[in-house]
Amino acid sequence: MENQIFYYDNKIVKNFAYATLFWGVIGMVVGLLLALQFIWPALSFGIPYTTFGRIRPIHTNAVIFAFVGNGMFTGIYYSLQRLCKARMFSDLLSKINFWGWQLIIVFAALTFACGITTGKEYAELEWPIDILVAVIWIVFGWNMIGTIIKRRTQHIYVAIWFYIATFVTIAVLHVTNSLAIPVGLFKSYPIYAGVQDALVQWWYGHNAVAFFLTTPFLGLMYYFLPKAANRPVYSYRLSIVHFWALIFLYIWAGPHHLLYSALPGWAQSLGVVFSVMLIAPSWGGMVNGLLTLRGAWDRVREDPVLKFMVVAVTAYGMSTFEGPMMSTKTVNAISHFTDWTVGHAHIGALGWNGFLTFAVLYYLIPRIFQTQLYSRKVANLHFWIGTLGIIFYAVPLYWGAITQASMWKEFTADGFLKYPNFLETVTQLKPMYAARAIGGSLYIVGIILGVYNLVLTIKAGKFLPEEGASAPALAKAAGKRGSGEGIHRWLERRPVQFSIVALLAILIGGIIEIVPLYLIKTNIPTIASVKPYTPLELQGRDIYVREGCYTCHSQQVRPFRSETERYGEYAKAGEYVYDHPFQWGSKRNGPDLSREGVVNGPQYRPNSWHYNHMMDPQRLNQQSIMPAYSWLISDDLNITNTAKKIRVMQFLGVPYPPAYDSKANDDLMVQATGIANDLKSQGIQVEPGKEIIAMIAYLQRLGKDVHSANLPTASVIRK
Amino acid sequence: MEMHDHKNIEKDELTGDKLLSGHDYDNIKELDNNLPKWWVWLFIITIVWSVVYIFVFDVIKVAPYQQKEWENEIAAAGVPAQGQISAAIDTTIIALTDQASLDEGKAIWQKQCKVCHLEGGQGLVGPNLTDNYSIHGCEYWKVVKVITIGVPEKGMISWKTQLNDADIKKVASFTMTLRGTNPPNPKAPQGDPCK
Repeated sequence: MENQIFYYDNKIVKNFAYATLFWGVIGMVVGLLLALQFIWPALSFGIPYTTFGRIRPIHTNAVIFAFVGNGMFTGIYYSLQRLCKARMFSDLLSKINFWGWQLIIVFAALTFACGITTGKEYAELEWPIDILVAVIWIVFGWNMIGTIIKRRTQHIYVAIWFYIATFVTIAVLHVTNSLAIPVGLFKSYPIYAGVQDALVQWWYGHNAVAFFLTTPFLGLMYYFLPKAANRPVYSYRLSIVHFWALIFLYIWAGPHHLLYSALPGWAQSLGVVFSVMLIAPSWGGMVNGLLTLRGAWDRVREDPVLKFMVVAVTAYGMSTFEGPMMSTKTVNAISHFTDWTVGHAHIGALGWNGFLTFAVLYYLIPRIFQTQLYSRKVANLHFWIGTLGIIFYAVPLYWGAITQASMWKEFTADGFLKYPNFLETVTQLKPMYAARAIGGSLYIVGIILGVYNLVLTIKAGKFLPEEGASAPALAKAAGKRGSGEGIHRWLERRPVQFSIVALLAILIGGIIEIVPLYLIKTNIPTIASVKPYTPLELQGRDIYVREGCYTCHSQQVRPFRSETERYGEYAKAGEYVYDHPFQWGSKRNGPDLSREGVVNGPQYRPNSWHYNHMMDPQRLNQQSIMPAYSWLISDDLNITNTAKKIRVMQFLGVPYPPAYDSKANDDLMVQATGIANDLKSQGIQVEPGKEIIAMIAYLQRLGKDVHSANLPTASVIRK
Repeated sequence: MEMHDHKNIEKDELTGDKLLSGHDYDNIKELDNNLPKWWVWLFIITIVWSVVYIFVFDVIKVAPYQQKEWENEIAAAGVPAQGQISAAIDTTIIALTDQASLDEGKAIWQKQCKVCHLEGGQGLVGPNLTDNYSIHGCEYWKVVKVITIGVPEKGMISWKTQLNDADIKKVASFTMTLRGTNPPNPKAPQGDPCK
C-alpha cells in the first residue's frame, strides 16, 4: 500500500511543555510557602488570600492539575500522534484543550485565593469552573478518540489503553462528584450530604490519584521508557493482565480514606481488601518497566532520562506498596490524620509524577528542537538534588507522624491522656517541619536547574513545528475476530469497544459501594436530636468552608479511647445528614472540632475565647501555628443570600419549616445579638452583623446534637 | 496467550527472547515473557487474604467492627482514676508550698491554663488570677474545686478528666502564688474581694 505523508503537530506539545514548567515552579513554590507557615505562622501575612486554608488548595491543584496535568498532556500529545501514525484529529480542539486548561488553572488560583471553594479536597472548584473542566475534558477525549479512529496502525498500543481509561474514568468521577445546586455564581451546595458526600468525595479523591496521577503516567512510561532505552517491552501479556486488574480494582479502594470513620463497616472492609489486592496490579507496571531495561542498565548510568525514569518507577513501586499498607486498619490508625499521608502523597507526586514528567521533557524537548540536551551534567545534578530532596522531604514526615500518633495515644498510669493539649504534639514536630521545608527547597532547586537546562536547550535548537512522517493508510479490517485472533488482540483494533469495556470495568465498583448508601436506610441510622443548622450557623459553616478550615481540622472523632477521651463521643453516621458538604477533613494540624460546642466536653471554649483566638492565636499560646483571622472580626456577614441558601437546602431535603426562608434572617439576628451580648458581658464590643459572630455560632453548635442524644455510648465514657 | 504469525520469528538480540510479530508501535517492540511467578503468587495471596478478610469481618462477623473494638478498649482500660475528689471536697486542705510541686504546677499551667488566663495569670478569656478578687472564692480548697468540677457554662471546663488529684492540687497551689504579682495588662477585677 502506498505511503501517506503527514505531519505531527509539535507546537501543541511545545505549548504544553512550557505550561508544565511554568506551573510546576509556581505550584511548588506555593507548597514551600505552606511548609514554612508550619514554622512561622506569620507568613500568612495576616490577609485572607495567603492564609493556609486558602493556599493549600492552590498548591494541591496547581501541582496535580496544572503541573502534572500539563505534563500528562505534553506526553500524550507527543506519543499519541506517533503511536497512531497520525496528526491530532483537530488542531482547533488541541488549541481549545490547551488554552481552556490554562484558563481553568488561572480561574482556580483566583477563586481559591478569594475563598470560593466547595470545600471538597482536590475538587474545590465551584460549579461554573467545574462545567468548564467537564467541557475541556470532553474536548481532550474527543480529540484523542478522533485521532485513534483515524490512525494508520492496526492495533492500539498499551500506552493508549491507559490514556483511554484515564479519559473515561476522570469524566465519570468529575461529573458525579461535582453535582451541586448553585446558591449563586460562586457558591453551591453538593447534592450529597455527610457520609454519602464523604464516600462520593473519596471515591473521586482516591481515583483522581488513580486515573489522573497513575494511569496516564503508566501510559507515558510504556511509550517513553522503551523509546529512551531502545528496548522491547518485557511482557505483552503482563501488560494486559495488570492493565485490566488495575482499572477494575482501583475504583473500589476509595473507602480506605474513611477507615474508622462513620462509614458503614462493610464499605470500610471493601476499601481495605481492594487496596490490598492492588499491590500486584500496581507492581505489574513497575515490573514491566524495570524488566524492559534488561540489557540496558549500563545506559541508565549515563542517560539522565533513564535515571529519572528508574527512580520514578521505583517511587511508584514504593508508594503502591505503602498505600495498601496504609489501607489496613492497623496502620491507618497511625497514618491517618498525620503527616504520614502527606509523606506518602509526596513520594508519589515528587518521585513518580515529578521525575517521570522531567524524564519526558528531557526526552522530547531536544527532539522537537532538533538538538541535544544542553547539559548532561546539569541534568545529573538535577537528578541527585531532586532525589535527595524527596528523601529529606518524606523521612522527617514519617518520623513526625509516628511521633505525633504515639503522643495522641499515650496515657498516664492514672488513665489520663499524657498530652491532653493537642498543641504539644504539634510543637514537638517543628524540627521535622523544618527538615521537610529543606527537602522541598532542594527539590525546587532541582526543578530550577531543570528549567535552566531546558531553556538553554531550546535556545540552542531550532523548533520543528511540523514533523514529517509517512505510513501506509490503514487497510480496512474485518469487524469480526479473525481465526486465531485472541479477544484482546481484536479489542486492540476496536478502540470504541475498548473504551466501552473499560468504562464498564470502572463503573462496577463505584456503583456497588455508593448505591446502597442511598437505598438501605440502616447504613445511616438517624439520630432524632440531630437538627438542621440555624441560619446563623449555616452562614458560619459557609465561612468555615470558605476559609478552608478542613485543611487543618477534622470533624471526625474515631472510636479510639485516646480520641473519645480527648474530644468526646465518637462520630456517628446520623449526625452528618445535613452537612452539604461534609467537612471531615483528612489531616489534623490542629485538633478535631466536631465536639467543640459540647459545654461539658473536654474541648469546650467560651465565645470570648473563640473571639480572642481568631483575632490573635499566638496571644493565647505563643506556640500555636494557627493563622490569625482578624478579617472575620472586621467584615460584615453577607445575609442577602440567607433565604436562597435555606431554599436550596430545602430542595436538598433539609427539613426547615415551609416558608422558613422569609423568616430566616430574623432568627439569624436574634441568635447573633445573643452572642454579641455574651461577648459584651466579657468586655468585647462587636456588632452582631460581623462574620465572627456566625463563625462562633457554628463552632458552638458542633457536637451539641449528638451529645444531647444520650446515646448508649455516651454514658460509657463519663460515668 | 494467543496465536501469532510464526513464519518470521524475530528475536531480541540481547536476551534471545522472542519478539511478538505485528507488535511494532512507533518502533517499540514487545516481548511476551511469562508473568513472573512471584508476581502471580503475590496476586493470588492478596486475593485469598481479601476473601478471608471479608468472610471473617462481614460474613461470619467473628472479628469486631470498630464500635466493638472501642468498647473492648474502654473495658480493658478500666474506669479512669478521674473524678474521685469531686464527690466530697475536703475544705481543710492547704496549698502545697514545696518548690518541686510548684514547679510541676507551673508546667501544667503553661500547657493548660495560660491559653485563657494568659502566661502571668493576668486574665483575658478567663478572669485575672493575680488581683485580690475572685468569682468563685479565694480559698485554696475553692480553687481546687473550680479546677476539678469546672464552671462549664462560663467556659471553665472540668479538669478532672485530664488531670489527676495530685496534679490539680499542684496547679491550684501554683495559682495561689500568682496573687499579688501585678503582671502587665491585667483584666479588670471580677467577683468579690478576698478577705
